[in-house]
Amino acid sequence: MTAKIVVDSVNHLYRPPRGRPVLALENISLDIREREFIALLGPSGCGKSTLLYLMGGFLPIETGAITVDGKPVVAPGPDRGIVFQHFALFPWKTVRANVTYGLERQGLPRAEREARAQRFIDMVGLTGFEDSYPSQLSGGMKQRAAIARTLAIDPDVLLMDEPFGALDAQTRHLMQTELLAIWQRSPKTVIFVTHDVQEAVYLAERVAVMSARPGRIKAIVDTRFDKNDPAVHKSQPFVDKVDELWGLVREEAIKAEQREAP
Amino acid sequence: MARVAQRAPWVSAIGWGAARFLPIGLLLAAWELLSHSGAVTPFMLPSIEAVVARIARDAGTGELAVNLGLTLYRSLLGFAIAAVAGIALGLFISRSAVVRWFFDPVISVGFPMPKIAFLPIVVLWLGFYDVSRITMVVSDAIFPVVTATIAGIQGVEREVLWSARNLGASERRLQWEIVLPAALPQILTGLQVALPIALIVDIVAEMIMGGYGIGGAMATASRFADSRGVFAGLVEIAIVGFCLVKAMMLVRRRLLLWHPEALDAANG
Repeated sequence: MTAKIVVDSVNHLYRPPRGRPVLALENISLDIREREFIALLGPSGCGKSTLLYLMGGFLPIETGAITVDGKPVVAPGPDRGIVFQHFALFPWKTVRANVTYGLERQGLPRAEREARAQRFIDMVGLTGFEDSYPSQLSGGMKQRAAIARTLAIDPDVLLMDEPFGALDAQTRHLMQTELLAIWQRSPKTVIFVTHDVQEAVYLAERVAVMSARPGRIKAIVDTRFDKNDPAVHKSQPFVDKVDELWGLVREEAIKAEQREAP
Repeated sequence: MARVAQRAPWVSAIGWGAARFLPIGLLLAAWELLSHSGAVTPFMLPSIEAVVARIARDAGTGELAVNLGLTLYRSLLGFAIAAVAGIALGLFISRSAVVRWFFDPVISVGFPMPKIAFLPIVVLWLGFYDVSRITMVVSDAIFPVVTATIAGIQGVEREVLWSARNLGASERRLQWEIVLPAALPQILTGLQVALPIALIVDIVAEMIMGGYGIGGAMATASRFADSRGVFAGLVEIAIVGFCLVKAMMLVRRRLLLWHPEALDAANG
């Protein structure tokens, strides 16, 4: 299988407004296959979101290269949709206007925009909330709206930056199941950043474990399970896999923790 | 407690409205008592009915309409220019490092400066016309607008801008369709600060320069030892200022229908 996204020897320096630059990513190389669901797993501050932003073209790539379909990433584009942890909806627009914004930019005629927006609003279960403003919605509903907005522009690649990290446990579990259902219906290449081991194993086909700062790829682990089995969380192979990955992440979390300490 | 609960809702609504403006009523009552007490002469403090009669007379002769119209025209035109120029300047300062380098210190020095002190020189440059008064209004009212616009734009979340770029917004569209609406709550706060400043500066400029306008009429009344005329002007300014500030609040409500503050007000 050919690689959809190739990350080749990428380093990234984080330059804080004051103080010395910090090496955030060190020599990252990663091949992501067409239509695969891959998770980037690591402790906080390991640079996994930074790697995602580099793929999205939001931050400049200084050393190394990232290509999507063989073309180097230079700027954000609608071929790579992104979903943020804190939703980043346009608060002055209704749910419908949020979802149609990208379609408007693509120059779709009005009737088509509205129909397409409605389809994705229905898909994420926000029917009846089309005219609500984001501030009138719960966290889970906001994230549903953000996902609908991104899916509506039909990106090849879906970049997800801890999208369920700000949600309560029940909502998170519900959203995970629904995201999988959406992905199974229309497979896209999904890169899913998380620090939740269970979430990574449940959602992804492969998990790239990242080390504490500077972020490196520490291991890539296969995590294919039958996602449609409602008891998969309790199956022995699943539990073992979570344990294995938790072992890998724990060391890094401890390292990160110790560095935070004065 | 039980008796309050039995009252019709409109009674309590009127009760609340009255309670809110009770302090103003008390001050007016104090004014009235003092003016009739004999402790001060009617020249120092004319009674409320004398001042109201004076306002009614001026309204009858058409003098009030001319003065009020000119004051509103000057201060609101100055305010509008300050609003448009201030928002535009705030946008440029946020976008360009060179513009920021130039204007940052200019604003730091210029904001606290008493711009009204430039009036004599502005009169020499621009003459005894409305241009001078409006220039003074703009020079004072623009500062809160610029600083609020810059602060509002700085506060726009990086992720919101990235989302818009991701969805295909060009740089130009990003400014109009994303940055400005996202910064609007703070920009409106700046405008709410600028509006009374515009009125104050215009009235002070009118007082110094003389001529028509509420400030000019007050200066003239003072020169002719006409204390009723001075107090009439004060009352007119108070009413006009209150109405302008209220109107601005309604504009804010209308524009920020989406904002949690408006939604809270609608539910509460």
